[in-house]
Amino acid sequence: MQKGSIAVRLFWLSAGWLVVALIATGFLLTELYSRALDTSLTETLEFHVESLAGALLEAGDPYAEGVGLPDPRFDRPRSGWYWMIRGEDGELYNLSTSVVGIDLPEISEPADAFGMRSSILEDAFGTQLRAVEREVTVGGESYRITVTGSLSEILRLADQFRGQAFIVLGAVGAMLAIMSAIVARFAMRPIGRLREAIEQVREGDSVSVEGKFPREIAPLAEEVNELLRSNTQIIERARNQVGNLAHGLKTPIAVLRNEAQARNGPLSRIVLGETDKMSSMVSTYLERARLAARTSIVGKKSDAGAIMLRLTRVMRKIHPEVTIAFEKPDASLPWFRGDEADLEEMAGNLLDNACKWSEGRVEVHLSAERADGGTMLSIRIEDDGPGLTENEAEKVLRRGVRLDEKTPGSGLGLDIVKELVDVYGGNLNLKRSALGGLLAELRLPTARLGGTART
Amino acid sequence: MRILVVEDDTNLNRQIKEALTEAGYAVDVAFDGEEGHFLGDSEPYDAIVLDIGLPQMDGLSVLEEWRRAGKTTPVLLLTARDRWSDKVQGIDAGADDYVAKPFHMEEVLARIRALVRRAAGHASNEIVCGPVRLDARAGKVTVDGQTVKLTSHELRLLSYLMHHKGKVISRTELTEHLYDQDFDRDSNTIEVFVGRLRKKLPEDCIQTVRGLGYQMVDI
Repeated sequence: MQKGSIAVRLFWLSAGWLVVALIATGFLLTELYSRALDTSLTETLEFHVESLAGALLEAGDPYAEGVGLPDPRFDRPRSGWYWMIRGEDGELYNLSTSVVGIDLPEISEPADAFGMRSSILEDAFGTQLRAVEREVTVGGESYRITVTGSLSEILRLADQFRGQAFIVLGAVGAMLAIMSAIVARFAMRPIGRLREAIEQVREGDSVSVEGKFPREIAPLAEEVNELLRSNTQIIERARNQVGNLAHGLKTPIAVLRNEAQARNGPLSRIVLGETDKMSSMVSTYLERARLAARTSIVGKKSDAGAIMLRLTRVMRKIHPEVTIAFEKPDASLPWFRGDEADLEEMAGNLLDNACKWSEGRVEVHLSAERADGGTMLSIRIEDDGPGLTENEAEKVLRRGVRLDEKTPGSGLGLDIVKELVDVYGGNLNLKRSALGGLLAELRLPTARLGGTART
Repeated sequence: MRILVVEDDTNLNRQIKEALTEAGYAVDVAFDGEEGHFLGDSEPYDAIVLDIGLPQMDGLSVLEEWRRAGKTTPVLLLTARDRWSDKVQGIDAGADDYVAKPFHMEEVLARIRALVRRAAGHASNEIVCGPVRLDARAGKVTVDGQTVKLTSHELRLLSYLMHHKGKVISRTELTEHLYDQDFDRDSNTIEVFVGRLRKKLPEDCIQTVRGLGYQMVDI
């Protein structure tokens, strides 16, 4: 299911481009810088060439005293700063004192509009040189004036510049990376909120995904809500259809059975036997269908106190001879995590059984119990009837067992309770009550927030 | 005792009517919600059997209408929907009891008996008035432990008087509660049956309150 993280992906994507862009910027800046240095060097050299040419033209003789350059760099051997005046045929006429043990090759590059030739050379010591050369004709004699400057110096400067640039750019990159990490995290915040909202629906604290979301994920929240709605609708429709089917089948069964009961004979006995089977099958499978439609319900919770209050009121009407003691619990009692009708079904069957069997006294208690799995809702219903022995209780909790056929009711009641308790992951215990009869103890899961949380 | 049965399934309607008639009740029937509502609203029934799924007007609406109009007649709801949430809804709408289909006819009879007796304020199925004992469940009458044979009409009359013992019951009330709506109410049958009953019961058990009606008293 999981495939990476959007935040991490966003971060790497922006950080990756950032690194590439910064490195490129670093190189570009260095290149521009070294080019600027080179250009200024070439201009200096051209100026020197012009000075030499001027001096030569003035003296008319390459050996003359005035021919030379004042820059002390031309006096230091191996400095890379050299000048020389050569004849047409390569004959050396004059040179700077810095030229020691080297022989500069001729420049073969074509001359520019001002008669200047420029090239990069290397002297015998491995120093890179920028060389500028020009031809001068004095008194019918042609001279070639060559001046060189150290290019290695410039390369060293450029290297230094590059190092500094990368330190600065690295710092900028680190800051931008931190910012993009923060931005990625910030951009993901609504998704976290959406997750929390959906979790609340699952926990039963909310019926739909609520809250304002940015344009990109608002449709997602909307879709989740739509899904929840259609889910609820499907379940509702399934329940309705099951109910309609029940009504449709049960009336004809009732008619057949009553008709058969009114007569005597083999036919009526067969009809009675078979309609009994039909009726119990209809009930069993309809209840199963309801259970199946029920399991996928999310986001329901119900107030157990209010439901028990309603049920006891109804029971007092149906069983007026029974005194039902029930104190409405305070509002801090946690809610049942599940469908209201299901809780009514479980508690209703147990309470109805208690009233049928009691000698006139039934007690109902509601409380919250701390268990290892969290807080459970405990519903205790006890009566002063005959009760059940341990053996009988065990038997009753097995499916489809009826202990007494005479007490009205199909015997299906407890089965429904058991199935529902299983669906909700609760449990049902049958014990001996202090009142003398049966104590039915129903434990059910609670919604995370109690009734107090939403008033 | 006069009962109204509102049920749209003609077979089931007939079966309930037959069973109730056999048990000694006067029975009127209706096959849809509107007819049922009208009858229940205009006639003085002792109990009503009401199906929830009815054409024209559903049973719960009919029931709510009656209760809103102040009718306190006990109502037994009849329905295929047997979840407790449905039952709670039915009882909250004003029903007094509830039977889920498919049912045993005896269960309907037992519930009707209990409703009628509770409405009259009796706690058990045995009603005693001096030496006269009525077992409403078995439809048997004894005087000083001796079984008295009564025709179904006589039993109906005695049963109504015993359920309302101590109260003065007019002849009109008796006619209204002992016969269904198709009965010819002009006849003097009530007087005839009261006369026959008096012969089978201890003297002065049924007293005539001149100009008002009859009264059953402990002697």
